[in-house]
Amino acid sequence: MANISIQNVYKNYGSLNVLKEFSLEIEDGEFVVLVGPSGCGKSTMLKILAGLEPASGGRIFIGGREMTDLAPGDRDIAMVFQNYALYPHLTVAENIGFGLKMRKVAKKEIATRIKDAAKILAIENLLQRRPKELSGGQRQRVALGRAIVREPQAFLMDEPLSNLDAKLRVHMRAEISALHQRLGVTTIYVTHDQIEAMTMADRVVIMKDGVIQQIADPDTLFRKPANLFVAGFMGSPGMNFVSARQVDGKAEVELLGQAVPVDADPGKLSGAASSKGLIAGIRPEYIKLGDGPLRFEVKPTLVESLGSEQYVYFSADEHAVPAEFRADDENRKGLIARVQNAAHLGVGEAVTLSLDPARIHLFDAASGKALN
Amino acid sequence: MKRTRLQSLILYGVVVLTCAFLLFPVYWLIVTALSTSAELSRLPPSFWPEAPQWGTFAKVFAERPIPLWLLNSTLAALGSVSLSMVVSVLAGYSLSRFSVRGGHSLGLFILTAKMLPATLLVIPLFGIFRQVGLIGSLWSLVIAHATLIIPFTTWMLKGYFDTIPRELEQSAMVDGCSPLSAMVRVILPISTPGLAATALYAFVLSWSDYAYARTFLTNQQGSWTANLGITTMKGEYVTDWNEVSAAAIFIAVPIIVIYLFLERYLVGGLTAGAEK
Repeated sequence: MANISIQNVYKNYGSLNVLKEFSLEIEDGEFVVLVGPSGCGKSTMLKILAGLEPASGGRIFIGGREMTDLAPGDRDIAMVFQNYALYPHLTVAENIGFGLKMRKVAKKEIATRIKDAAKILAIENLLQRRPKELSGGQRQRVALGRAIVREPQAFLMDEPLSNLDAKLRVHMRAEISALHQRLGVTTIYVTHDQIEAMTMADRVVIMKDGVIQQIADPDTLFRKPANLFVAGFMGSPGMNFVSARQVDGKAEVELLGQAVPVDADPGKLSGAASSKGLIAGIRPEYIKLGDGPLRFEVKPTLVESLGSEQYVYFSADEHAVPAEFRADDENRKGLIARVQNAAHLGVGEAVTLSLDPARIHLFDAASGKALN
Repeated sequence: MKRTRLQSLILYGVVVLTCAFLLFPVYWLIVTALSTSAELSRLPPSFWPEAPQWGTFAKVFAERPIPLWLLNSTLAALGSVSLSMVVSVLAGYSLSRFSVRGGHSLGLFILTAKMLPATLLVIPLFGIFRQVGLIGSLWSLVIAHATLIIPFTTWMLKGYFDTIPRELEQSAMVDGCSPLSAMVRVILPISTPGLAATALYAFVLSWSDYAYARTFLTNQQGSWTANLGITTMKGEYVTDWNEVSAAAIFIAVPIIVIYLFLERYLVGGLTAGAEK
């Protein structure tokens, strides 16, 4: 086990800059998730950390030892791949023991350690099978077994759950978390799934276009997103964005005909460029059914029921998020409220919703930065 | 989809006709070998000899050094297959895995060697082999056949390696392999079907060569390959076609045996790319 220090690592493919000045300190035993949309550089960073791709610049330390130019096998790390990458010509036991064999560990010791790892992952009965005879979940377990048997300084996981079906994914997610708690090995986990990031991580690193957007624990990320991109990326459905403006040095949102004052850091607010104005963000889950500090009446354009909850869509004066901060490609029309499924809500029938103005986020439309 | 009776009938009919069409020359080879010379010149021809002449095989075997020719062919084929496989495994793997500036053009350039007809290359090769003293030696065939085989096998293997996920080597490297040992320990064992198909292709190419053997081997019949040997059985005025056919059967048998032995790998190897 070890701490990991990534210092100013960047990666260029020709003139294409896929990773820009990536720096991160990871503590011993920490579970860090790198998350972001496709092409944000998260997998590239993991491969650089594993030594599978050379960095164009920067340095990497694992357990205080510089690893920047070492071969993958000399870094004492284990990696779990999205497609498991099990060796098809070897049995499960041989797959798990391969890394130990390459390190010339004694045969007896290898057998004991394979047994121990298999026991932890409950795959003892599969040891003599070949990968093609296993189900997706079992293969995933063997891939994990291959990683833990080595007792490495760190685990690197590259979207290990994305090939599994939804139910199994939830199950394996919990298993990996439990495994991490039991073994306490520093883990870096790459995913594009924000739910995996939120549920598993001690800290989440959100990336976009090769740049770190925010590093924080999941709650902070949700409650205090650093910028428009993070705000839109985390949470499902994503945050609603509406126009806001400055009035006498204070921020104000025009929401369905009501002028709502929004708390903002006066220093930041005065520095915000006025050219593009302000954007206010409201999380769908903070809009409630019924009366509250700020109430408004809407006529839903669409109601989706998820059983325990309902998504209520209604039209309002939305603010288009500038493309450079947009978290997804969808072009949303109107706002969404995510409310408890308490009553029958009909399309076009007036319903009262409410909101606590203290929970409105404020962003600078030009820089995308949070202002409160 | 379930086929109707008529569809099945048509399907089987087409399959039988195709097989008959493809196997007819083989059948005719056997008929020729078993007929007498008189029967062969008769019109209309008979489709099975009245008294099959099994003795022709024994006669050919006694009069011609068939085992020696087969041995020469085998040695030339094994030599050129071994040489080609070593080169094209390394080349194909590199073309598949490493992106080098100009790598793609280099790969295509290798293929152009295959586009030139063998008869064109035979002259410069003869010049080279004469200078290094290889004329008359089987080594000349090993090298000449390899120049024919390598361009194709390199591309066949590149295509095969392309279907193997890179994560397998990456995983092996994280497990402590060097790039070369990852190839040897992980990629080659799982490429057996592709390697078998490629090697068989190479073997057949070398085995069926005539032009190079004719040019590079000397007039002593002990140094001939099987194909070259057969053509010398054609006389200036009279050709005993039954004897030529019997010799041809002797020469075809090894290839058929190898094919039967490798068949289970072969089908997997040739279709592996298509499945993914």
